[in-house]
Amino acid sequence: MAKREAPEINAGSMADIAFLLLIFFLVTTTMDKDTAYARKIPKKVEVIDPEPVQKKNIYKISINNKQNIQARDSIIKPEDIEQLNSRIKHYYLINREKVEDRNVDYPYYSMVTKAFIDQRIAEAYNKQENYEKLLETDSKYEKFIEQMDNEIDEWNRKKRILDLYTKASGKKEMPEIAFQAHVRLESFIDTDYSAYVAVQSEVEKAVTEMRDEEAQELFGITYTSMRQYYQTNLLEKTPKVQEYKDKMDLIELLFPLRIIEVKPKR
Amino acid sequence: MSKFKKNDGKKAPGINTSSLPDIVFMLLFFFMVATTTKEIDPMVKVRPATGIGMTDLTPFKQRSEVDFVYLGQPLKGDVDKFEKGIAVQYDGILHKDGIRHIGKWKQDKFATKPAEYTAPREETMTCFKADEQVPMGILFEAREILGDASFYTIGYAASEKPNNKGYNIRTQ
Repeated sequence: MAKREAPEINAGSMADIAFLLLIFFLVTTTMDKDTAYARKIPKKVEVIDPEPVQKKNIYKISINNKQNIQARDSIIKPEDIEQLNSRIKHYYLINREKVEDRNVDYPYYSMVTKAFIDQRIAEAYNKQENYEKLLETDSKYEKFIEQMDNEIDEWNRKKRILDLYTKASGKKEMPEIAFQAHVRLESFIDTDYSAYVAVQSEVEKAVTEMRDEEAQELFGITYTSMRQYYQTNLLEKTPKVQEYKDKMDLIELLFPLRIIEVKPKR
Repeated sequence: MSKFKKNDGKKAPGINTSSLPDIVFMLLFFFMVATTTKEIDPMVKVRPATGIGMTDLTPFKQRSEVDFVYLGQPLKGDVDKFEKGIAVQYDGILHKDGIRHIGKWKQDKFATKPAEYTAPREETMTCFKADEQVPMGILFEAREILGDASFYTIGYAASEKPNNKGYNIRTQ
């Protein structure tokens, strides 16, 4: 039997089908990205007799119902809001890497060394041993032992971060800002959302710029690009993701972004 | 003798359209990659606040770790029916309890998601898409309710600020 050629399929309507699909996707999707400032609501913990926060560790920014901003003692008009950037950087950087001759109105830095961390770990182990002895008399010490475990973990984590810092910068001492240092955001009940977000934006921008600069100096890559990579590839457990995570931890320890948002009273 | 020949019945040669589907498919794939699916149609008017350096929520959306709440003036109906003239939209409805419904809504959303899809309770984000003139008091009320229900992560939505323009803050 003679071989018959298969008839060609008419592909003329392929374009119509593709157009149909294209128009469907054009209608049902949007181009604009969703972006937001991610924040945490603080957990409620009961502390008996809390240690008072020193005034120098607070950077207070309040926004009133007319959208005027007060940063510490200076009043900033809404159109001059970009001043906040340099003010916040000043707040972070003025005492950095200084041990003497510090400005008393701004948060102090401590220089973390390996010996210091080792000493703290040894202290924590000692305390834990004591609690273990006391556990025989009272079961309430179980909680304290657990607390010490957490503390030791925390110090070990800091030790790894310090190692990374030493490796990247060659310095044996790591400047760490006072743990109480924070930005305190106060608003009124009828402060506009846009003004509040604008202040958040300025704070975020100032801290991110400092982080970027530091990361560029230490690792040759900005913090922003590391974070972007980390967030999109979070679920893959590749070494690169872990490496970026460690580096980000270091940068975040050097320039922590601590914002306390206060519930408005009026 | 003229230079121009008369068209003696010959047809113009047809344009070859066999590569048209390829071009259209290329466009199609571009749009499929570059866009995201639209969420529900808004029932409140939201003029976004502007800012710099926000977190991109696309990865959170892909992992379905984020729920959106819309706040603003209602597009239809009576403004005075809502507290302070601000309606709160949860998915497809404007709830009459306004912001006080947020705890129950978030709880329902969290419970209906399959466990392998979602992040732990404390890390599922609630993102406020608020109009620029929404008063902060409402958001702080929501924060308190969410905090009590231990949904600790929130987001303040904003759109990227154009470089040559300032923040759109209402001055009085």
